[in-house]
Amino acid sequence: MAKSTMQLSISNRLHVFRAEHKITQDQLAKEIGVTRATIIAIEGGGYNPSLELAFRLARYFKTDINTIFSAEEEKK
Amino acid sequence: MKIFDSILLKVFLYGLPIILILAIFSYSCDFRSINSASTYIKLLYNFAGIMFASWMLLSIYLGVRLIFSGTFREKVLTKLAFIKEQDEREVTLTGKAAKTTMLTTIAILIFLFCLSCFQISVYRLPPEQAIDGKSKVISLDLKFEWLERVPEDASKEYIQKQNILAYTGLPISSSAIILGLIIWQIIAYNYSMRRLMK
Repeated sequence: MAKSTMQLSISNRLHVFRAEHKITQDQLAKEIGVTRATIIAIEGGGYNPSLELAFRLARYFKTDINTIFSAEEEKK
Repeated sequence: MKIFDSILLKVFLYGLPIILILAIFSYSCDFRSINSASTYIKLLYNFAGIMFASWMLLSIYLGVRLIFSGTFREKVLTKLAFIKEQDEREVTLTGKAAKTTMLTTIAILIFLFCLSCFQISVYRLPPEQAIDGKSKVISLDLKFEWLERVPEDASKEYIQKQNILAYTGLPISSSAIILGLIIWQIIAYNYSMRRLMK
């Protein structure tokens, strides 16, 4: 197991942005070039996207990456 | 993938049912009757032999290509193993499933290696050869050989013994083990992938 000094918990507001733009998971998946299962996994917190995908999502919603994704130090 | 390899692969796959039919035909046919058969039958038999030999050569060539050509391997084996990578998440999950598969395969291989090395035999000696008055013997042994050897003639054994139990390595053939491992790899990968996708 890899050792790390700090564990980060990554959360996102993707579902909020999606609701604001009135776009379905399927539509967003097609626009971004991923499967719907991936959008569901990101929204549910089950999958943390790569930097490239995170930037693609931010660009799609014409916003900054930090407004969609945020990282907090995990409490032990 | 080169067009040449693609054509050869199709020839190999489409030739497979023909080879199976030939194998069934040759199994049911008496070889001694070929000499007395008509010229037409002899020609047909020779043609079948040439076809089988070419198919065997083709399978060896494709096997070597699978080992040494990365692109060819990826094109063919991803289809054979039902590997689908539609986006980056599935690529990540494929990696996790492949790791699980590799580790379980290593575990199975270690287990099979142990089973193939251990030799256990329980036998009864004749009263005149009894050791300290005891005629029942349990013999434990370890065997490891790089090459498969033809088993020695049992009559050469100098101890007259009555075998009760004799385990001398895995009773499964090497071809069956290899085929089993191929099938296991595909099943284990797809099972892990399904679990991860949920």
